[in-house]
Amino acid sequence: MTNALSSAKLICITSLLLCANVFGACDFDTDDADSPNFMDRIIDCEKQPKSNSNPSKSVSPGTTELYGDGTVDPISGMAERPVAAPGSMNHSPGKAFAARQSYSLRPNAKFEESVTIAIQRLHLKMAHYCAEGWKMESQWTEADRRQEGDYYLHYRFRCAG
Amino acid sequence: MNKVLLSAAVASTLGMASYGFADGPIDSTIYGKVNISVVNADNGSTDQWKLNSNASRLGVKGKTEIADGLYAVYKAEFEIAVDDGDTKNGQTFNQRNIMAGIRGNFGTVWAGKHDSPTKLAQNKIDLFNDLEGDIKNTFEGENRVSNIVAYTSPKINGFATTVAMIPGEGADVDGDGNDDTGLTDGISYSVSYSKDNLYIAVAGDQDVDSQDLMRIVAQYKIDGLKLGVMYQQNEDNLGTKDESGYFVSAAYKLDSKTTLKAQYGSIEDDADGDKEDSLSLGADYKLAKGTKLFVFYTDNTDSSVGEADSDATAYGLGMEHKF
Repeated sequence: MTNALSSAKLICITSLLLCANVFGACDFDTDDADSPNFMDRIIDCEKQPKSNSNPSKSVSPGTTELYGDGTVDPISGMAERPVAAPGSMNHSPGKAFAARQSYSLRPNAKFEESVTIAIQRLHLKMAHYCAEGWKMESQWTEADRRQEGDYYLHYRFRCAG
Repeated sequence: MNKVLLSAAVASTLGMASYGFADGPIDSTIYGKVNISVVNADNGSTDQWKLNSNASRLGVKGKTEIADGLYAVYKAEFEIAVDDGDTKNGQTFNQRNIMAGIRGNFGTVWAGKHDSPTKLAQNKIDLFNDLEGDIKNTFEGENRVSNIVAYTSPKINGFATTVAMIPGEGADVDGDGNDDTGLTDGISYSVSYSKDNLYIAVAGDQDVDSQDLMRIVAQYKIDGLKLGVMYQQNEDNLGTKDESGYFVSAAYKLDSKTTLKAQYGSIEDDADGDKEDSLSLGADYKLAKGTKLFVFYTDNTDSSVGEADSDATAYGLGMEHKF
């Protein structure tokens, strides 16, 4: 019985940790943790827009941020995330979300870094969380300070009521 | 018993769902990687096949804004052994970098057990990190230090610096026969400049891992080519080692999936004339973002004066998946 309880505790802890990952995911590379600027990566990877610095960038209270990348097929350049996979669709009427996707305007940027793919990924996210439809409330772009020519495209959207 | 486990699993899954709809950001992220390789290692006397875990790891990191522009930052990373579950002395997890700090416009003050500024300054010019060709097998200075207290400046016009103090906590870190109990018994620092595709750093240690050390690192990227070079001098506290050496590496991206890699390092001890060389060749094949296959060959040679060279070679095939 003691073993069973220990195992149960382990499962619970693991699940809670996984929960943290659901909304904490971002384009952080594992090896960034050992890089000289690892502190910047911790801060910038999940950078939240400030509500008082620029009204157009504000994420109002109650808005859930969904920062993170899907997986992109390196050949087709298309996001692979199976939006219609069983159990993958959600819809919370009236709930607001903020999603972010990186893209690049550098001359040597790859197709999978293009704004086209960024928009597609954001639409996949919107469909994932608002399966029955949504309203786009605002969108904006901010520069990625780590690399000239790189940007983040932000969408703030609300599930259809 | 199974019912207990099942109930726990269901309960925790439901917990996951409810967290999924919680308002506001959760600022922790789990990350990690599994890196395994099948390796043939021959040290001249033993020739064997092995499955290696190559510092596979699991970590949690995050930040919390505690005041306007002021963050608490943290990171806790543990090694896992994918091959046999034993990271060290029967332990399932072995501590890697763990730190906590305060970050503001002034920079970051942080502390914990962590790679020294000197090791961080290497900036992964070591293309065979955690494999048999790892630079740490040839060069001093690749230290993960306990009890480190550090300050990292903001990046200003491309320049950044990190200075770390390492209390001895009663150990004899400088080898003078006395216990060291001060705050700055060991010191490690780095000054770096980075802009566009160029990275340059000067770093050094004093009484860290019984070494005084200085290294210069440069890295440059030109289209698909990434070049790295390092020069290092170090001597130990006992005066039995006085080394200087260099390291060069090159990675060339053939296409969107394939990268060829090569590196060579050589260091010579001026005190006794001993010499160590390391040559590694390899290739990565990217399967997806965060997932790759790799092959490598490494030849580490240890030449001691008056003795026959000791030659250790290894080749292998592996995969890495980051998450």
